[in-house]
Amino acid sequence: MWCIDRNGRREFPGGKEDWPGAARTAVCCAAFYPDVEEEQIADEAVSCYNCRYRRWTAASFTCSA
Amino acid sequence: MRVVLCIDDTDNLESRGTGTLASQLARELEENAWGTSRFITRHQLLVHPDIPYTSHNSAMCFVAEIEEGSLEPLIRHAAAFLARESAEGSDPGLCVVDADQLGDPAPLIAFGQKAKQSVVAMDEAYGLAKSLGIHLSEHGGSGQGVIGALAGAGLRLSGNDGRLKGHMAIDTDNGRATVGKICAHADVDEVRSLDGRHPEGDELVLLGEKVKTVLLDGKSVLLVVPADGAADGVAWQTCSKQQLRNY
Ligand code: SF4
Repeated sequence: MWCIDRNGRREFPGGKEDWPGAARTAVCCAAFYPDVEEEQIADEAVSCYNCRYRRWTAASFTCSA
Repeated sequence: MRVVLCIDDTDNLESRGTGTLASQLARELEENAWGTSRFITRHQLLVHPDIPYTSHNSAMCFVAEIEEGSLEPLIRHAAAFLARESAEGSDPGLCVVDADQLGDPAPLIAFGQKAKQSVVAMDEAYGLAKSLGIHLSEHGGSGQGVIGALAGAGLRLSGNDGRLKGHMAIDTDNGRATVGKICAHADVDEVRSLDGRHPEGDELVLLGEKVKTVLLDGKSVLLVVPADGAADGVAWQTCSKQQLRNY
């Protein structure tokens, strides 16, 4: 379940260290689009942490797709 | 003369990344015979609700040795380039530091470190750039990218921040190479373990699929960790992306 932040955006509940969760989410997401090489941080190629549409926040990221 | 050129906030969700524009600028600097540049580094700045950014708030930077008389043409070229090539809705900023005339880099480095920890205003960036004789300019949108551009230049000068853009192509024997061979690559200065050890030149490293270095002590450093299982005399392996994420 995604959290909703105070601006109504969906925030990933796993924070910045849930590598399996971010990969699982992206595998099931039709909107995944790989970010540029220098912004990718996950070893799993398909991961929200490597997606162009994730927008980092202090504790996690929101999805802009 | 040595210059540090840094750009920030040139992209949107659909456009080319800021790193690609930095690479193009570095290439054009050489095509114009103004000088030569070395690797491009990426510097992470604060992510905070009060800071506008597309998705990551990072600045891209390179250092170049340029000919006398090339500084002004380079700045004009880079400014026109950013105005032309930056994406719709972005807030591009350009910083060019003449490192030879800068003197003490400490205030610039301190600004870079501050921009990783707290929200900084454009006025402060312009004020510092003016007092240090640094070129700082905005090229569209709100111009907020000047903060990251100035901060990124300071972080590059600190010598201890950021990852290099791109991956190193290193010839291997079955995925392995000696430390000496790795350091023969033009963009790798040193191999170092995550805990600060310096492997000998003949020690073997198992190289991951994508080899990336980080900026430490002003050098492009390939970080390694003890190899899993230590089979076949391989003592080390390169770090995963996950292990490099905080650089
Ligand atoms: S960040 Fe958003 S668009 Fe990208 S993979 Fe995750 S859920 Fe999908």
